[in-house]
Amino acid sequence: MTEASSKSATPKDELLRLDGVKKYFGLGTAPWQRSQSVKAVDGIDFVVRRGETVGLVGESGSGKSTLARLSTRLLDPTAGKVSIGGQDVTKWRGRRLRPVRRKIQMVFQDPQASLNPRQSVGTILTTPFRAQGIRPTRAQLVELLSQVGLSEEHLERYPHEFSGGQRQRIGIARALAVKPDLLVCDEPVSALDVSVQAQVLNLLADLKDELGLSYVLVAHDLAVVRQVADRLAVMYLGTIVEEGPAAEVYSSPAHPYTRALLSAVPVPEPGAVRDRIVLTGDVPTPIDPPSGCPFRTRCYKAEDVCATTRPVLEPVAGGDHRAACYFPEAPLELSNPPLSERTQ
Amino acid sequence: MADRPVLEVHDLHVTFRTEGGLVPAVAGIDFAVAPGKTLAIVGESGSGKSVSSAAVMGLLPSNADVKGEVLLDGRELVGLPNDELRKIRGNDIALVFQDALSALNPYYSVGWQVAEAYRLHHDVSKKEALERAVRMLDLVGIPAAKARAKDYPHEFSGGMRQRVVIAMALVNDPKVLIADEPTTALDVTVQAQIMRLLEDVQTEFGTALVLISHDLGVVAEVADDVLVMYAGRAAEHGSVKDLFYRAAHPYSLGLLGAMPRVDVPPRHRLTTIPGSPPSPGSVKTGCPFQPRCAYTERVGERCITERPELTPRPGEGNHEAACHLGRRPEVAP
Amino acid sequence: MPDLVWFLIRRLFATVLVLLALSLAVYLIFYALPADPARLGCGKPCTPDRLEQARHFMQLDQSTIQQYLAFLRGIVVGRTYGEGGAAVHCDAPCFGYSFPLARPVTTLILDRLPITASIALGAAVIWLIVGVSLGVGAALKRGKLFDKLAVGLALIGVASPSFLVGLLAILVFGFWLNMVPVNGYVPFTESPVDWAWHLIMPWLVLAALSSASYIRLTRAQMLEEMNLDHVTTARAKGAGERRVVLVHGLRGVLVPIVTIFGLDLGSLLGGAILTEKVFSMQGLGELLISGVSQVDVAVVVGVTLFSAFLVIIANLVVDLLHGVLDPRVTHG
Ligand SMILES: Nc1ncnc2c1ncn2[C@@H]1O[C@H](COP(=O)(O)OP(=O)(O)OP(=O)(O)O)[C@@H](O)[C@H]1O
Ligand SMILES: Nc1ncnc2c1ncn2[C@@H]1O[C@H](COP(=O)(O)OP(=O)(O)OP(=O)(O)O)[C@@H](O)[C@H]1O
Ligand code: SF4
Ligand code: SF4
Ligand SMILES: [Mg+2]
Ligand SMILES: [Mg+2]
Repeated sequence: MTEASSKSATPKDELLRLDGVKKYFGLGTAPWQRSQSVKAVDGIDFVVRRGETVGLVGESGSGKSTLARLSTRLLDPTAGKVSIGGQDVTKWRGRRLRPVRRKIQMVFQDPQASLNPRQSVGTILTTPFRAQGIRPTRAQLVELLSQVGLSEEHLERYPHEFSGGQRQRIGIARALAVKPDLLVCDEPVSALDVSVQAQVLNLLADLKDELGLSYVLVAHDLAVVRQVADRLAVMYLGTIVEEGPAAEVYSSPAHPYTRALLSAVPVPEPGAVRDRIVLTGDVPTPIDPPSGCPFRTRCYKAEDVCATTRPVLEPVAGGDHRAACYFPEAPLELSNPPLSERTQ
Repeated sequence: MADRPVLEVHDLHVTFRTEGGLVPAVAGIDFAVAPGKTLAIVGESGSGKSVSSAAVMGLLPSNADVKGEVLLDGRELVGLPNDELRKIRGNDIALVFQDALSALNPYYSVGWQVAEAYRLHHDVSKKEALERAVRMLDLVGIPAAKARAKDYPHEFSGGMRQRVVIAMALVNDPKVLIADEPTTALDVTVQAQIMRLLEDVQTEFGTALVLISHDLGVVAEVADDVLVMYAGRAAEHGSVKDLFYRAAHPYSLGLLGAMPRVDVPPRHRLTTIPGSPPSPGSVKTGCPFQPRCAYTERVGERCITERPELTPRPGEGNHEAACHLGRRPEVAP
Repeated sequence: MPDLVWFLIRRLFATVLVLLALSLAVYLIFYALPADPARLGCGKPCTPDRLEQARHFMQLDQSTIQQYLAFLRGIVVGRTYGEGGAAVHCDAPCFGYSFPLARPVTTLILDRLPITASIALGAAVIWLIVGVSLGVGAALKRGKLFDKLAVGLALIGVASPSFLVGLLAILVFGFWLNMVPVNGYVPFTESPVDWAWHLIMPWLVLAALSSASYIRLTRAQMLEEMNLDHVTTARAKGAGERRVVLVHGLRGVLVPIVTIFGLDLGSLLGGAILTEKVFSMQGLGELLISGVSQVDVAVVVGVTLFSAFLVIIANLVVDLLHGVLDPRVTHG
């Protein structure tokens, strides 16, 4: 790697840090109407350290993709601070962002839509080098392809000649071209079949071992995230409601929303009896979120206090695990081991 | 065994005539569902799940050739004139699509659309039909159904729209409900609501459900029987326990191993199936799964030369698998 | 509803602005032209004196901006040219006075409008019916003979110049076969039968040509619509093919057709220039053409503004109809 990136690494090895970041999208309204905005991300602190994979989960519209795009500086925050590699880059624009963009790359959901159908794989992989003013050698391109399990013969082919899983590999190879420290993957496997999805998830794990990559993995599929995440952040209506080491959050969710979310995921275990918390109602609109706790309209534990002020992330059971709730659930000591352990 | 199946499909073939030649999208599948029971059809994208369900409904485009038998209460549907089929569609067999927003007509209110489904099969006044529609919307859990019946599809959330589609499918008390990925577009919390709704409906009305899904978790939860499709054919068929505890086909095993789980700490790696599924008709002889199969070496030549037929396997239901490997393959390392 | 009221107020405001800008532009363009309307109006031995007189009478001796302001004032309170016995009066709303025709422009437009409107409306009804039904038919019989014929017809229609088709039609049906009158206009109030009989040729010629694009539009939209999931839903509900097409398919095609139809009709009402010329009908188009050739600025400005007004109104009506036809559209 070049010196630029090693110089900017901070002692704490924080690749990415968001402080109180907000993103409001203005809605096109007529002048005489009260101006409205979608509070897509509404005050988030978020840190990614070197070598870790942070999973970002939540329902549709909770702001996951917006947070991902804020992290890669594809979007300008409405408020708050974005630091990359220890440097405050909130105000940076254009050329100045180039070295930053190199450290953080993004992988998108739909491999079909994110690859130009008229460009060969070789051309697609050359583009990110060019953006950095480098002319890659063929050997470099082949090296990239082999990192994602493709080979030289694929260089001259076009996206439509590949399967969905292969196209996602190409998308990942393109992101890897500039040797980033952090890959922000927005739903990288949700368009893929189960068997192919497993290939891509394994690939991500391998690349992490080989290249020491870090990931932010955005997904609505909690099982996918559990497979690869070291830490987990759960989003609801533009805020992070729970965050902590993945193993802990999954085995002992503290926030009522996380608990409901996890209990709703079906498990491949015929006849398994699960205490399912079925949430009623819909997610409120992010234009006019509820006062106080954003989850209170659907929460099975809500009380009067929940409607007054928004709860902040506070440690539960000590340590790194935090939840934004006045009445967090007590830790679940594995009193009720899942049935499925026995098939293992 | 308790109940006679209400829907039986025997040796169903669907071939599309296209400019690129014949596409055998479905090449001989059998299944049956009894009242109140759920059959799940799983398989990779392009394996022919949706085409099979459209064939049952007689809803395929005109460039499709359908062969085989589709028996509804013993009555043959294949080859029935369109006029006769029309009376069965939406009345005896109803369909729920994956994407509720596009499945609903944006120009009519949801009440009108549900009422239309009723009026097409009942000689009632518009008012009576609308009353029935409101009752249905209420039944599927639309709050303030009477008022909301006047609203248009875009005014509902994704989960609510899927409820509307389900109300529309159930308005004529169909014997069979075919749900093609009914929750794929929905969040898990909403998926849980919809699956519970479908279960309630089944217990109340004894509807037979054919559930097309790629989510093995959902399948494990609601299915009684499972059909695993691969490249337009049945790879394996059996009770849900047969599939999850006694899977006999390497592809089924692969699917189970490839699925990450939310309820257990992650294993180091997921088992994967290498490669990707073949396009329909590209495998001419032998086993369609052969290029991706980890067990083909144990069997040898036969996998390439001879097409495996469904053969009985140990299990509780009619457990069958189409694989030359005689005994159950051990779980992959 | 208040949303709708606001929408209308906003649109009205925009309409006035557009018309003001347009009239100013037309004014400036015509006064930049070398031709002098006063010279045409000053009579035979045109001495510098008489020219000056004419100029003063026609109020052309003021600055362009002054004239423009006088024009705007005239719309509200009317206008008088000259003084004393020779004075010419033009009542409000006065859109100028045509000295060559010696009539207020407002009167001229109102006189000619029925003719143009008769041509436009009749033709529009015919092409809408023919275009849409052939288009729907073609879409349903896609790839069959009917489709090929309709598409071929549409192609010919789109490619042919209306002028030529009109002349040919006059030649064949008017002169050779002597079936229909080839020119002239009889007011509807005089004799509805003669009215229609005299208009039948222009209607058919205009409709034949315009149907073509409606066939193509309808066919394309219909093919798209019939592939949508909700049409499959209708079939799955047990709707018969007729119902699927008419209730579910055609419904979605309505919006684009109404849009194009409204705009076409709006611009046609402002003057069917070629058709009027070919069939010698004294409509708005003819008025505009003669106005241009005689440097009759008042007429040109008046007719241009009127046409623009019609187009803007058509736009507004189309937008309002969208709100009625498509529940997803709100006028916010
Ligand atoms: N460019 C935009 N303009 C206006 N609103 C936007 C824009 N982008 C996103 N939003 C809104 O912001 C909210 C958050 O959107 P976002 O895409 O981040 O959600 P998400 O969690 O990624 O959802 P999904 O799981 O559906 O991808 C949504 O309500 C969305 O409608
Ligand atoms: N109208 C058609 N003409 C030609 N081929 C078709 C047509 N419809 C479907 N096919 C082909 O039939 C095969 C089976 O398609 P089908 O939609 O049943 O897959 P599926 O199992 O439902 O997949 P998915 O999980 O993606 O919905 C595919 O290879 C598809 O390309
Ligand atoms: S703060 Fe109150 S409403 Fe919010 S999650 Fe906790 S208990 Fe529920
Ligand atoms: S028949 Fe052979 S190739 Fe096919 S699944 Fe069985 S072992 Fe594998
Ligand atoms: Mg997203
Ligand atoms: Mg499908």
